Amino acid sequence: MNIFLRELKANSRSLFFWCLFIVFFIYMGISKFSAFTAVDSDIMAMLEGIPPVVLEGLQLNAFNLTTITGYYGVMQSYFALMAAIFAVLLGNGIIAKEERDKTVEFSLTLPIPRHKLITGKVAAALVNCAIFVLVMWGGSIVAAQPYQPDEAFYQFLGMLMLSSFFIELIFLTIGVLLGAAMKEYKRSGSVAVFILFGTFIFSILSALSEDLEFLKYFSPFVYFDPLKLLNESKFDPGYLAISAAICIISLGLAYFSYAKRDLYI
Amino acid sequence: MPIIEIQNLSKYYGKARGIIDVSLNVEEGEIFGFIGPNGAGKSTTIRLLLSLIYPTSGSARVFGKDVIKHGPEIRQEIGYLPSEVFYYDKMKVIDLLNYSASFYNKDCSQRIKELAKIMELDLKRRIDDLSYGNKKKVGIVQGLLHSPKLIILDEPTAGLDPLMQQRFFDMIQNENEKGATVFFSSHILSEVQRLCNRVAIIREGKIVTLEDIKTLQKNNYKKIAVVGDGLDQARFQINGVTNLHQVDGEIKFFFKGDINQVVQLVSAQPVSDILIEEPTLEEIFMHYYA
Amino acid sequence: MNIYLQELKMKLRSIITWSISVAGLLFLFFSIFSTIVDEMEMLNAVMANYPPELLAAFGWDNMDLSTVLGFYAFTFSFIQIMISLQAANYGYSLVSIEERELTADFLLAKPVGRAKILTNKLLAALTGLLITDLVLWSTSFFAVRTYAGDRAYNSEILAKVLITAFFLQLFFLGGGLVISLLLKKVPSVIAISLGSVFGMYILAAFGSSFNEDKFDYLTPFKHFEATKIVNTGEFDQPKMVISILVIIISMIASYVLYQRRNIPTV
Repeated sequence: MNIFLRELKANSRSLFFWCLFIVFFIYMGISKFSAFTAVDSDIMAMLEGIPPVVLEGLQLNAFNLTTITGYYGVMQSYFALMAAIFAVLLGNGIIAKEERDKTVEFSLTLPIPRHKLITGKVAAALVNCAIFVLVMWGGSIVAAQPYQPDEAFYQFLGMLMLSSFFIELIFLTIGVLLGAAMKEYKRSGSVAVFILFGTFIFSILSALSEDLEFLKYFSPFVYFDPLKLLNESKFDPGYLAISAAICIISLGLAYFSYAKRDLYI
Repeated sequence: MPIIEIQNLSKYYGKARGIIDVSLNVEEGEIFGFIGPNGAGKSTTIRLLLSLIYPTSGSARVFGKDVIKHGPEIRQEIGYLPSEVFYYDKMKVIDLLNYSASFYNKDCSQRIKELAKIMELDLKRRIDDLSYGNKKKVGIVQGLLHSPKLIILDEPTAGLDPLMQQRFFDMIQNENEKGATVFFSSHILSEVQRLCNRVAIIREGKIVTLEDIKTLQKNNYKKIAVVGDGLDQARFQINGVTNLHQVDGEIKFFFKGDINQVVQLVSAQPVSDILIEEPTLEEIFMHYYA
Repeated sequence: MNIYLQELKMKLRSIITWSISVAGLLFLFFSIFSTIVDEMEMLNAVMANYPPELLAAFGWDNMDLSTVLGFYAFTFSFIQIMISLQAANYGYSLVSIEERELTADFLLAKPVGRAKILTNKLLAALTGLLITDLVLWSTSFFAVRTYAGDRAYNSEILAKVLITAFFLQLFFLGGGLVISLLLKKVPSVIAISLGSVFGMYILAAFGSSFNEDKFDYLTPFKHFEATKIVNTGEFDQPKMVISILVIIISMIASYVLYQRRNIPTV
């Protein structure tokens, strides 16, 4: 419990700045959106004539940007990316920083087993992720108010935010695993960045070419495609299962390897 | 010309005190002790001398040159051993030492071998894998390999076993005999007592005293213990007596001043035993911090 | 010279990794070029029927994946992220790593001035970035030539796009360095470099999807936008000047700040 509280406190400043950035970003976006609503809806109607395959291939969106729902559909790609960055840094840092700051000597000689240390840290990180999404959610709802959103919008927004949270969970646990399992903390950070960037690239490549479509299974960004969420109004159970598997395996491995490894100062 | 001249040097970290108005000179060829407890400002002073940090006010000169303006030139002749040594990872000891040597305008390869032999240091090992004490040895060799004219030691013995400490002191003394000036910061008084000619005591950022080590020990204070039945502690309360305390039949105190006063006092008392000795630096030190 | 070599040696693995990744990404993208190019042509045909205002509103007017350079520009936008990350990493860790690893005491107690230390370190970082650039430049020409088939492209414009890589790197190198020197104690390297690079990227991408030009001046990704260079054949000079100014100012500021820096105690 004390570890949990300490970590919460230690991360509160960084969380605060992230939240500030999100709020600013949402505000910025919505002010841009207001300009879009002015676009003639006849022109928007023409959009629907474009074959969706083509649009998807281009990774351009088939969201109607003149509606608030469509707007948030587009924003989701940025939300998801930010959430992923936040989570992977948090997950990796919360473990790796002990070695980086040469505090392992202290924290690992405390009279608690290592798995408790991880549990405390992961719990604190989860709270951080939850707050991150809640701020994003709240900010989005407030920003959408002037456009009289309907019930369907709130449902869609809720799904988007849940997607962001799931993406956070995936990257958080991957980050924790890297921090816990890798001998060199500096390299674990680089690997985390590579994974983040790689999965981001995969999401683009998989949409671009059928030959590389299989890459979508390796990219959490594809698991929660906002367009699909809008059309089907439910999460894809297959992808949900993959996500859960990634989280559980990463976390399990993290506990396993951290308990066994040598720590260097 | 003094090797180190520090004049009214002050350093604040924001509002927090580093050192306040420190002035001292270190003469050529001496081993100068710089003692004080943790946080007194020893490292701050040393870091100022090396221009790792910049003073809030005042100035410092080494070899007669301003430490800030002529930093690089001065450091050509300084050997520095920090209290904690950490080196670039993935480097072998010899790589680090060669890298260190590459900064000086002389060939140090022979000297590296010599020093490593004395310190029993394995040159082929990776620094990451070394123990704290062994890293320290790397630091010592690294600090001395260019035969510097001024050796700055910041609590150098921590982490060394007694045997290595002895060798280290021998080495320092040896360097000193060859003409090197040594600035030796420590909180362990016995080692300062053993090596140094003069000491400065620093406390809460200020120099409390700066004296010849012999003066400090001999001329100033006597440590006096008087044993006897029915001794009256109150009668010893005279000018120059400090740290007076009584344990059963024994009265102990420090005295500074005319020793005849004490002799008279003692002769008027039923004394069964008396002991007058030089206080150790330890005791003087405790006295300054009392 | 010794510092330069030592720095370069320590960066060697990182330089190789980044270079290989950049080359790999390039080939990965171009390997699918021939398979999607027909689809893209179809898209172009469809889009030709729409009014230009609409296309402009969505930024579709300037992205053309059916041409070699159009596709290259698209690929390059991701390459930009990578090389920026590398540069930001180098810049941010250039001096901060010494303080974090507590080796600053070692280096700064040596008989060299700080300006010289910084110059050596900067040169080593620049060498690393240039090596990555060389790999990028050569593989780019190679990949384009290999996969373009009989499609025509203007290699002069390609060269123009490629040259911007170096400026972008300088921007993040200088920026990272200045940030690290403005902080008293430096937090994690990846957090800062990832945050700043992706932050800038998101701003730029956001600007593109919503046709918002407010941030164009802020984010270097907009100063060296490959699509724009491909479409116009020219650099976006006014914006490039902003980046160059930032580079110059950050370099000067770094020297001043490093010269005055108090090295935190071990």
